[in-house]
Amino acid sequence: MRNLLNFLLKYNNIIVFLLLEGIALFWLTNGNEYHNSRVVRGMKGMTRGIEERMNNVRTYLSLREINSSLASENSLLRDRLDRFTRQEDLKFIPVDNPLFRQQFTYTSARVINNSANKQKNYFTLDKGRSQGLKTDMAVTSGDNVAGVIVGCSENFSIAISLLNIDFRLSARIKSSGYFGSLTWDGRNYRYAVLNEIPQHIALSKGDTIETTSYSAIFPEGIRIGTVSDFKKTGSDFYKITIELFTDFKKLQHVNVIGNMKRTEQLGLENQLQ
Amino acid sequence: MINSVVRFIVIIVLLILLQVLVFNNIQFSGFVNPYVYIMIILILPSVTPAWLVLIISFLTGLIIDLFSGSPGMHASATLLAGFSRPLVLRLISPRDGYESGSDLSMAAYGFRWFLIYAAIIVVIHHTALFFLEVFRLTDFFRTIFRILLSSLFTLGFILLIEYYRKGR
Repeated sequence: MRNLLNFLLKYNNIIVFLLLEGIALFWLTNGNEYHNSRVVRGMKGMTRGIEERMNNVRTYLSLREINSSLASENSLLRDRLDRFTRQEDLKFIPVDNPLFRQQFTYTSARVINNSANKQKNYFTLDKGRSQGLKTDMAVTSGDNVAGVIVGCSENFSIAISLLNIDFRLSARIKSSGYFGSLTWDGRNYRYAVLNEIPQHIALSKGDTIETTSYSAIFPEGIRIGTVSDFKKTGSDFYKITIELFTDFKKLQHVNVIGNMKRTEQLGLENQLQ
Repeated sequence: MINSVVRFIVIIVLLILLQVLVFNNIQFSGFVNPYVYIMIILILPSVTPAWLVLIISFLTGLIIDLFSGSPGMHASATLLAGFSRPLVLRLISPRDGYESGSDLSMAAYGFRWFLIYAAIIVVIHHTALFFLEVFRLTDFFRTIFRILLSSLFTLGFILLIEYYRKGR
């Protein structure tokens, strides 16, 4: 007993160190999983007040840019509205009618916390479950891919950013239709990498890359970026560098897209696999 | 005694606010992320018992983690820095040892001593932090490059702050 006490006294610092380090590492490995961003979400509740205030300042500073983008969007929409109202026999069909075949719902949200300088980036939206947001909804900025929602609380959501080394997205070349998987390699926040495109396909710089509907998260044809560089590697596939359309350092107003038929599609696919 | 405790609490709060409100928002190409809050561990008085240093570093890391949404990363890296502090202090101790009354500051032990001391601790902290962030060994040299670049910036800011801290 005495020896034990002496031992504890002699090495008490190392014991305290190992104990605390154990707690920290346990927390780290537990919080690191893709879907455990819920833990992060829980903690964020505590620091949210300050974050919101900081974000208000940031939003204020970039009002000019937002104004101009809103103005251009307005004119675009007015143009479209004009085309629609001229149609003669517009029937009124309620949206929940299966004949109407609406598949995607759209809503807008504001980004209140964001980063682009880490290896695993997430961003927070100011809408949550009570505004109809759910996990696995797609997030776009303008018409371009931004991320996917991974956790919702009552009034906030956390989305995994495309700039996350765990993020995978099925993408295809618009001109030829060949698809591969898009990842971010953690280097530059303006560029991502498209893999699994076989080498016999003709490619050129500037080709547009868009989403496929395979994941049942993104609608088909949401734009991702353009080919900025491609290399033939030793294997059968190209290594294609994509310049992203979305500038993640000024992500502020985003659209959230929900797929109303996602459960139906996944249910059928699971049944047969 | 009470006076200096209050002073250190004020410094700690100021450094954490500085880190969270200013330095966490520096997004410069993903290579430069200064983590100036590590200065808290540097300037604790030399009489602070080692276990207290450990607990302070753990709590500091915890708070930074809460603000940057990175569970456990800063806590474990800062803890490692706090653990290595007594070892580093012994390694580079001045010839006459440390005076129990004085702070571990540039003014008390000179620029050269403080630079070496800060550099060792900062590099230990950043190495742990960036490798925990990436959590894999691919792109090893790119991570090393990020560590060195960020350490350089952190060190620069720490020296700047230290200069003004004693300039009062």
